[in-house]
Amino acid sequence: MEEDQVTPLAELGPRVEAQRERIRKLFENGAGARETLRHLCELADNTIKKVFGELLRVRSAPAQGLSLLALGGYGREMLFPYSDLDLLFLFGSEKAEQEFRPLISEFSRTLWDLGFRVSSAGRTVDECKHIDDANAEFHLAMLDRRFLDGDLQLFERLDAKVLSGPEKQARPLLLSELQRLTRDRLNRYGNTIFHLEPNVKEAPGGLRDYHATLWMRQLAGDRRDPRISPLNEDELTRNAVEFLSGIRCFLHYANARNDNTLTYELQAEAAERSLGIDDNLRRNAAEWMRLYFRHARTLNRQMLRYMEQRTVTTLSLRQRLMNAMPGTKVETGDGKAYAVRDGLLGLTDERALADRQLIYGLLAESARLGVPLSREAERGIAYIMTHPEIPQKNTRITWPLLSNILSGDYPSLALRPMHRLGLLIDVLPEFRTIDSLVVRDFYHRYTVDEHSLRAIEHLQDLTGTSDPRGAHFAPLWRTVDRRDLLILSLLLHDVGKGMPVESHVAGSLQALETAADRLKLTSDEKNEIHFLIERHLDMSATVQRRDIFDPSTVSGFAAAVGTQERLQRLCLLTYADIHAVNPEALTPWKSEMLWQLFVATSNHFSRTVDRDRLHVSDEALLLEQVRQQSDHASKAELERFLEGFPRRYLAVHSPEEVALHFALYQKLGEQPVQTELKERKHAFELTLLSADRPALFASLSGALAAWGMNIVKADAFANSAGVVLDTFHFVDLHHTLELNPGERARFQQSIADVVNGSQPLEPLLRGRLAAATAKPPKVALRTSIQFDDDASDHSTLMEVMTQDRPGLLYEVGAALARHGCNIDVALIDTEGQKAIDVFYLTAQGMKLTPQKKELLREVLEGSLG
Amino acid sequence: MMKIEAIIQPSRFESVKDALLEIGIDGMTVTEVRGHGRQKGHTEVYRGREYTVDLLPKIKLELVLPDSLVNRAVETILKSAKTGKIGDGKIFLSRIEEAIRIRNEERGESAL
Repeated sequence: MEEDQVTPLAELGPRVEAQRERIRKLFENGAGARETLRHLCELADNTIKKVFGELLRVRSAPAQGLSLLALGGYGREMLFPYSDLDLLFLFGSEKAEQEFRPLISEFSRTLWDLGFRVSSAGRTVDECKHIDDANAEFHLAMLDRRFLDGDLQLFERLDAKVLSGPEKQARPLLLSELQRLTRDRLNRYGNTIFHLEPNVKEAPGGLRDYHATLWMRQLAGDRRDPRISPLNEDELTRNAVEFLSGIRCFLHYANARNDNTLTYELQAEAAERSLGIDDNLRRNAAEWMRLYFRHARTLNRQMLRYMEQRTVTTLSLRQRLMNAMPGTKVETGDGKAYAVRDGLLGLTDERALADRQLIYGLLAESARLGVPLSREAERGIAYIMTHPEIPQKNTRITWPLLSNILSGDYPSLALRPMHRLGLLIDVLPEFRTIDSLVVRDFYHRYTVDEHSLRAIEHLQDLTGTSDPRGAHFAPLWRTVDRRDLLILSLLLHDVGKGMPVESHVAGSLQALETAADRLKLTSDEKNEIHFLIERHLDMSATVQRRDIFDPSTVSGFAAAVGTQERLQRLCLLTYADIHAVNPEALTPWKSEMLWQLFVATSNHFSRTVDRDRLHVSDEALLLEQVRQQSDHASKAELERFLEGFPRRYLAVHSPEEVALHFALYQKLGEQPVQTELKERKHAFELTLLSADRPALFASLSGALAAWGMNIVKADAFANSAGVVLDTFHFVDLHHTLELNPGERARFQQSIADVVNGSQPLEPLLRGRLAAATAKPPKVALRTSIQFDDDASDHSTLMEVMTQDRPGLLYEVGAALARHGCNIDVALIDTEGQKAIDVFYLTAQGMKLTPQKKELLREVLEGSLG
Repeated sequence: MMKIEAIIQPSRFESVKDALLEIGIDGMTVTEVRGHGRQKGHTEVYRGREYTVDLLPKIKLELVLPDSLVNRAVETILKSAKTGKIGDGKIFLSRIEEAIRIRNEERGESAL
C-alpha cells in the first residue's frame, strides 16, 4: 500500500478510490478482517500524511507546535470501511492553534473530498491536563491515541509527561464513567446478546464490548490473574474479534455506509458466503447465527467479568467491616454450607464442585434467596463442565433437584448461569434445539432461547414490580401453586421451534414426552405441563380475538381451562410469553385485557362450582379409569360415590386420587371418619371423608388449629348421598409432624375423634388460640363479606375476605354452624395475610333469607374485625 | 381522498382486516384504544377488590383512501365488524386535503 512520495492532491482522489476498491475486492475474495482493517488503516494513515505534508509544503510552514493523533477505533488500528476517522489536532499553545486553524480547515475539507468521514477535535496540551466528569468520554478515546504526523516531540511530551500523572490519578473516574456508559449501552439493548437482528458494534456481545474490555484492562494496569484469564481465553477472544470484525466489514460494504445491523437478509447472505468460517461446511442462516452468538457470548462474558472485577465502589465503614467478617453462612437442609458475601452466593469449599448435586443445591439456593452466583462459583462450574477428565459424582439431575431450582422466587437467577455454562442443556437436552436459534418473525426481537428465559425473568420481576403492566399479576405470581411446573412449561413451550415439525406446539409436546420420562415426572405433573404447552397461545388468542365481555366466551374459556389453579398458571405464562416477545409487545391495553379475562374466568369458577355438578352417566371414561385404579370395584358403588360432586372435584383430582378417595369411602362402614395425610412440597394435605354432620367443617378446621396448623387452602365438597370430602392444605407451623413422624398417626386419630365428637374441641383450642392471637397482624385488612344468590340454583354464595390468622376458619365455620347454615361447598384460599373464603350455604335446604344474611354479616364482621 | 376512522371491537379486528385485504386494501394504521359510547362499562369484583371497567378496549383503524374506494371500504367494515350488539363501534369519515409519501415526495392519490 505504499504511495509515491510526491502526489499532487488533484491526483490523489482517484488513487485513494482505487486503493479502496482493491481492499474491498481483496475482502470479497476471502481476505480476513484483520488484514482488511490493516489495509484500510494504512490507506488512511498514508493519505493523511500525504495531505498534511502537502499542505505544510504549500504554506511553507513547519509542523512545530501541531501533532496529528488518531483516536478511538482508528487509534487502535481497527478502521472499518465506512467508519469515522477520529482525529485529534494537538496544539503546543493557543497561539499555535490560531496559526494552524486555516491549515486544519483545508486539511479536513480535503479528507472529506477524498471520501473520509472525519470526526475531529482540537486541544492544546494544557487543555489535555485536566480530566474530570465533563471530559471523561474524550479521555477514554484518548486511551487509544496514536501519533500520525506533525510534531513528534509535542506528542511525546503529552504522552510521557503531561498525561501520565493525571491519567493515573483519574483511573477510578474514567473507570466509573466507562462502566456507566457501558451499562447504559447494555440497557439500551435489553442486556442480552440474543437479538434476532443484532447490531454487531453496539449490542451486547458486539465489538464495543471488546473495546470496553480493553479499556478496563488498560485502566486497571492490566494486572492479569492467570486464574481469571485462562490461557485459551485470549485465543477465543481473538477469534471472536476476527469473526465480528469480518461481519462489520461485510455490513459496511453491503450497506455502503456505517450501518452495523445484521439483518435477516444479510444473515442469509453471510451464511451463503460462509463468512468468517474456513471449515468448508455449508450452513444455513440459523446455523451461521449460532456461530455469531457463540463469539458474541465470548466477548460479552469477558466484558461483564471485567465490569464486575473492576467496579469502583465506595464502601461504607459498616460494609467494609461486614466484608472483613467471614461469609454469612446459609445452611441448607442437608447440612451443606454456602456463603453469601458482597451480595453474591458462592460455595465455601471449591472441592464441592466435584459433586453435581451440590452445584444444583447452590443454584436452588440462588433461586430461593434471590442472590446471584459469584463469578468465582460460575468460573468453577465452567471449569468442571469443560474438563470431563475431572471426576464428577451425582451428575444426573433428579426431578426433585430441578424442581427445587424452578420453584424459587427467582428461578431466572439460577437458569441464566445454567444456560451460560451449558448446564441447562445438560439438565434439559430438549432445550438444545433452540439454543441461540433465530426464527424470523416480524414481532419477536430475541432468539428463541432468550425469549424463553426472558419470559421467566418477567415472572421473577413481578416480585416488587413497579411496572403498572405487572401490578395485577404480582399477587398471582406470589401465590401460584406448583411454580416448578409453570417454569418447566416456559422452558419447553417453544423448543418445537427448533424441531423439524409442522407445528412448534406439537414439537414442544414431543420434547415434553422425553423430558418427562427422563425426569420421572408423575402423570399429573406431565399432564399439567402438557396442558400449559398445548394451550400456551389460547389465552392470548381469546383476549385478542374473542369478546371477553361476552359471558359465553368466558364460560367456554373456563371449560377449556378447567380449574382456578390452571387458570392462574396459564395467565402467568401468557403474561410472560407476550412480555418476552419484545419490550413493547405487552401494552397496557393488552395487559388490562388479559387481566379482565382472568378475573371474569376466575369469578366464573367460584360462581359456578355449586351449580356445575357431576353426573356419572356422562363420565364413562373416568369411571373406567378409576375402576382400573380401584382393582375393578363395583361400578354401581363407584357411581354412588361420585354422583353429585361438583365438577371441580374431578378437575382438581386425578383418577388415581379419586380411586384413593373411593377406597376411603369404602371403609366408612368400619370407621365413620376416614383420613389420609400426605406431605407435599410446602405443605401437608389432609383428606377427610365422612357422612355429613352438623358443624363438621368447623370441627375439622378447629382440630387443625388446635394442632397449630395454618390452613392455606381447602376444598369441601359433598356428593348427592351426603358424603363429605374435605381436602385441607396446611403448613405445620411448629414442625410437629415434620420432626416427629410418629405423631402423624396420633394427629389423624385426634382429627377423627374431634369430627366424631368423641373428643371435645374447646379444651384443645383454648391454649393454642390464646397464644396465637397475641401477635398483631403485619398489614391491617378490613373484613368484607359479599353474598350472591345468583351463583347457584339452590344455595347462597358467601365470600369472606379478611385478615388471615390461626383459627380463623374455625371461627367462621363455628359461626355458620351456630346459625344453622349448612356448607354445601367451601373454597378456601390465602394470599399473603389475606384469607379469601367462598362458601355455598343453605339453611334448612334453602337459600339464605335476607334476614339470615344480615345476621351473618353482623356476626362475622363483629368477630373478624 | 377520504380518511376512514373505524372504532371496532377487538374481537372483530382480524375479520375486518381480512375483509379489507380481500377488496385490495392492505394499508392501515391500527391503534389499541379505550373508550365508551352507549356501551357503558361494568364492575368486576375479584378477591374483595372492585375493578371498574369504565373504558372498554377497542381497536381504532385509520385508512386514507381514494374517493372511489371509500364506499366499498365502509360497507366492508360495516359487514365484518357488526355483531348487532351495543359496542360494535363507529365509523367516521373526513376529507383529506393532501397526502405526501415521505420517501419520494409523491403527492395526491398516488402517494396512498
